[in-house]
Amino acid sequence: MRAAFAYLGRGSWLARRDPRSILLAAFFFVLGAPQIRDSRHLALILAAAVGYYLLAGIPWRAVRRQWLLLVVVIGAVATINALITGGQSGGFADAETHVLVTLPPFGTEVSAEGISLIATQVLRFGAIAAVGFPVAYAIAPGDLGPALRQLRLGDRMPVMVDLTVRFIPTLSTEFGETIDAQRVRGFDPLRTGGSPMTRLRRLAPLFVPVTVGSLTGAEDTIDAMDLRAFGVGKRTWYRRLQMDTASRVVVGAFAAFLVVATILNVTGQSEHYLLPFLVP
Amino acid sequence: MTAMAQPQSTPSPWSLTTRVIVYSAIGAALYAVFNWISFAIQIPGAESVSVRPHYGLLTFFGFAFGPVVGFLTGFVGNVVGDQLTGWGAFTSPHWSLANGLAGLIAGLFPVWMASRMTSVGSKALTAAVAGVVATVIGFLVIFLGLVLTPEMDFNTILTTEYIPVVIANSIAAAIVTPILVLAWEPISAQMGR
Repeated sequence: MRAAFAYLGRGSWLARRDPRSILLAAFFFVLGAPQIRDSRHLALILAAAVGYYLLAGIPWRAVRRQWLLLVVVIGAVATINALITGGQSGGFADAETHVLVTLPPFGTEVSAEGISLIATQVLRFGAIAAVGFPVAYAIAPGDLGPALRQLRLGDRMPVMVDLTVRFIPTLSTEFGETIDAQRVRGFDPLRTGGSPMTRLRRLAPLFVPVTVGSLTGAEDTIDAMDLRAFGVGKRTWYRRLQMDTASRVVVGAFAAFLVVATILNVTGQSEHYLLPFLVP
Repeated sequence: MTAMAQPQSTPSPWSLTTRVIVYSAIGAALYAVFNWISFAIQIPGAESVSVRPHYGLLTFFGFAFGPVVGFLTGFVGNVVGDQLTGWGAFTSPHWSLANGLAGLIAGLFPVWMASRMTSVGSKALTAAVAGVVATVIGFLVIFLGLVLTPEMDFNTILTTEYIPVVIANSIAAAIVTPILVLAWEPISAQMGR
C-alpha cells in the first residue's frame, strides 16, 4: 500500500512548462467555468479543456478508473438533482417544464429541463477535471514547493505543502505496516457488522498508532528545521523556475477565458440552454 | 550573576511557527492518505460524500494544535486527498474549504474553553463537542455549491450533501477525536509539549 503522486506526464509538452502556469490555469478555470451555464458554450470549453489535457500526455490506462469514477459520481449527483427539482432549478427555476416521463412510485418527473441541466453539469465538471488532472500528473512533485513560493505565497506555506507531498508515501507505507502488525495480533480490518460507532471504534488500532507515531516522529523534523533557523530570515530555494513564452501563453489564455466567462455571466449571455431535441 | 526566570509568553494561536507547519503537513498527509484509502466506501444517499472515519483526525489536529493547523490539515489534506483519489484538487474547492473551516473551528475550542479543561477526561469530552460543533458550522460552506454549480438546488444540497455528511462526520468526530486526545495527551505531557 503506497500512495504517492505519480508524475505520469513526465516529458510531455505541458510538463515542460513552468508549473506555475499549470497551477494558474487551473485556478482561473475553476473561477471561470461556473460562470458559464449554456451547454453549447460548455461543449466548446470541454473540447478546449480536453485539448489542453492531451498536452499533458497522461497515459489513458493509468487514469481511466479515475475518469470513470468522476463521470459516474458527477452523473449521479446531477441526475439526483434533476429528479429532486424536476428540472426547475438554475435558469429554469420559474419555467414551465416539459415532462418526458413520470417515474413510479412517487411520480418523479423527468423533464427536458432536467436532462439539459444534467448535460450542463457533466460538461462543466468534465472540463474542470480535464484542466485539473495536469496539476497532479504534469507537475514534478519536487517543483510544487518552488512553484508556490514563486507565486508569492511566502516561504512557510510552500514548505508545508512540500512536506505534505513528501510525507504521503511514508505515511501510507506506515499505515500498511500497521495493518500487517495488527493482523498478526488478530485484528481484522475487513470485519463488518455493528453500528457505525462500533465500526469506528474498531478502527482505533489503526488510527491511533499511525497518528501518534507520526506526531512523535515529527519532533525530529521540527528540531532539524529549528536548528537550521527556519523562519528566522528569508529562505533561499535550490530550484528556480523560469516562465518561458509558451507558459505565459498558457496563463494568458486561461486568464482571457476567465475575463470572457465573467463578461458572459454579467451580461447574461450564457444562461441555461434547453436542448431543443428533447422538447416533444 | 543572578539567574532570573523569564516569563514565557504563550504563542498566539494564529502564529505560523515551525511546529505549526510540520504538524499541519503531517495532519494533511495523514488526512489525504486516509481519504485515499477509504474513498470507495459510500453512504447510501450521500452520492458524492465518502464515509470518512478519519475525519476525526482533522478535528483532532485542530483541537490539539490550534486553528491554523486545523485549517491547513482540512484544506490541504482534502485538496491533496481529492487529487490522490482522482477526483481532482480543484473539482470541488468548497468542500476543501469546508474541511478547513471545520478544523479551524475545532481549534478555537481549546482557546475559548481552556479554563474548563482541567483534566484529560474533560479535555476529551470537550474535544468530542468541539468536533461536532465544528462539523455542523464548518460544512455550511458547501452551500457555496449554489454558486459554483448553478444547476444545484438548495434542497438537493441540503438533503443529499449537507445532512448526510454532517451526520457521518459528526459521528466520526465525536468518537475518533476524544480517542486521539486520550492517546496523545500523556505522550504530549511526557514530551513536555
